[in-house]
Amino acid sequence: MILGILEQGLIYGILALGLLITYRILDFPDLTVDSSFPLGAAVSAVLTLKGMPPALTLFCGMVAGALAGLVTGFIHVKCKVRDLLSGIITMTALYSVNLRIAGKANVPIFGTETLFRNSFTKALPDWIADYSTLILILLITLIAKLLLDLFLKTKAGYLLRAAGDNASVVTTLAKDQGSVKIIGLMIANALVALAGAVMCQQQRFFDISMGTGTMVIGLASVIIGTNLFKNMTFMKSTTMALIGSILYKACVSLAISMGLEATDMKLITAVLFLLILVAGQAKRKKVRIHA
Amino acid sequence: MKKLTAMILSLMMLLALASPALADDMINIGIIQFAEHGSLDNCREGFIEGLAEEGFIEGQNVTFNLQNAQTDMAIASQIASVLVPKSDMICAIATPAAQAAFNYAQDEEVPVIYTAITDPVGAALANADGTNPGQITGTSDLLAVEAQLKMIRALMPDAKKIGILYVTSETNNTLPLNMYNELAPVYGFEIVAKGISAGADIPLALDSLLPQVDCLSNLTDNTVVSYLAMVLEMAGEAGKPVFGSEIEQVKLGCVAAEGLEYLELGRQTGRMAAKVLKGEAKASEIPFELITNSYLYVNKTAMAQFGIELPADLADRANDVTPQ
Repeated sequence: MILGILEQGLIYGILALGLLITYRILDFPDLTVDSSFPLGAAVSAVLTLKGMPPALTLFCGMVAGALAGLVTGFIHVKCKVRDLLSGIITMTALYSVNLRIAGKANVPIFGTETLFRNSFTKALPDWIADYSTLILILLITLIAKLLLDLFLKTKAGYLLRAAGDNASVVTTLAKDQGSVKIIGLMIANALVALAGAVMCQQQRFFDISMGTGTMVIGLASVIIGTNLFKNMTFMKSTTMALIGSILYKACVSLAISMGLEATDMKLITAVLFLLILVAGQAKRKKVRIHA
Repeated sequence: MKKLTAMILSLMMLLALASPALADDMINIGIIQFAEHGSLDNCREGFIEGLAEEGFIEGQNVTFNLQNAQTDMAIASQIASVLVPKSDMICAIATPAAQAAFNYAQDEEVPVIYTAITDPVGAALANADGTNPGQITGTSDLLAVEAQLKMIRALMPDAKKIGILYVTSETNNTLPLNMYNELAPVYGFEIVAKGISAGADIPLALDSLLPQVDCLSNLTDNTVVSYLAMVLEMAGEAGKPVFGSEIEQVKLGCVAAEGLEYLELGRQTGRMAAKVLKGEAKASEIPFELITNSYLYVNKTAMAQFGIELPADLADRANDVTPQ
């Protein structure tokens, strides 16, 4: 069960990294994610069936996600449509695109070699085979996180952060605020699509409805993570988002394990979130008293 | 404050570890149901009854752990990751639940028994030759399309076009829709299918569909069935009868249906599960089963509304389910 939480938490952690950019850094409520998550999955599933090495399909999924972000950014910046609405437009359009790419609403890849189940992982000794999926997911997530950390330290990364905090800084630096936003949306949706592609490889099927609620999961993860560790200045916000995602999945898993009525599961999950957030607030109060 | 966080976290871990403490001599069966609606609930009840018939009785030698994913894919996957390791068998109801369960169960050799899967081959839960890809088997609820067409022809001798409304996101529509298209000409019908992406599109889709057709026939589409009241009202105003795909729809006002008995489908599934539990056969050795005989359900009030009469040869096998 702990294994399941970590696997799922880290996969959705990549998604949380993407939402960290749009929601925390750019302050852009990007609804594209509900469709770019299954977009990454659709691309990965179809290409895997076509015989492409699964690792390469992840990359293709990311490119597709970046394109989705580009579309949202273009609609918002160039067509001057409100942020929320431009995300909704892309999300709506992508639903059809996803169905076209996948060919049907549900594409199983049980029969083919996937990233986590192939001749290599089958040859591994038992003691490591149980953890091979987790290790691979951890590796992918950490690479995504470290690259994002590095990027945020570059000049382009600083501009990205400035675009969300104080847009006039970007303009003062003689940079186009719009293109900075578009780049941010592209990176964010590439990460979201990567999460979708990894999820598809792990669960071994694509389903058109797998994106429903993605935005909520990602946002909750980012908020839980950043609230809980608000005062730990040494901790990077990307780390907070990843931990937030694992905690989110732990809450869901706990709600499932409590063996309560199935109908009440979401309620229990909500109460657990609240507990975590309240705990985070209690922490801040205490700091203020000390000060 | 760190302490409080640590406390909460450790409490969560403790709860997580303590909850599956169950007696050793009990057989633990995890049931993963994808959505909550009449047909699937009947499958589940039937499954439990079917096992009981074979001596596996809840509380005596079997413990059921029922989880419902409420149509959420991410939750279905997570439920599977939690339930599979602590279950001796998984019963998966509806396609996404079965796929999620099989993904986790394949390595652990936990048998998965599925039910209410329209197309096990298309969902990669069965091989094209009818064998199973692992410790997994179950029952399919493929619609009795031919019987339905035959019935519509008998009730509406002059009808030419049948309208079918379906949601593009549900895979369980693909196979029956193909069958409709293939078999319709045999009975002199033409199918006008209209795909929509969400329930909210139904009124618009019906506005364009109803004038083109003589009647509607439903698939087991979860969304369309959820919006049935609206479909019936709009079709009624247009004077076009609606044929259902199972008993519950006829009770609600569809004229008639050649439907499956989901309770019976569940019982059949439960008996298959019992075979595996008794060790008579491995799940991988039992081919998946279809329910072949359909039941004719009719609603006399709806029939009278459209001036449809039940031919004598159908009357003796018709089950009148008109609400009193």
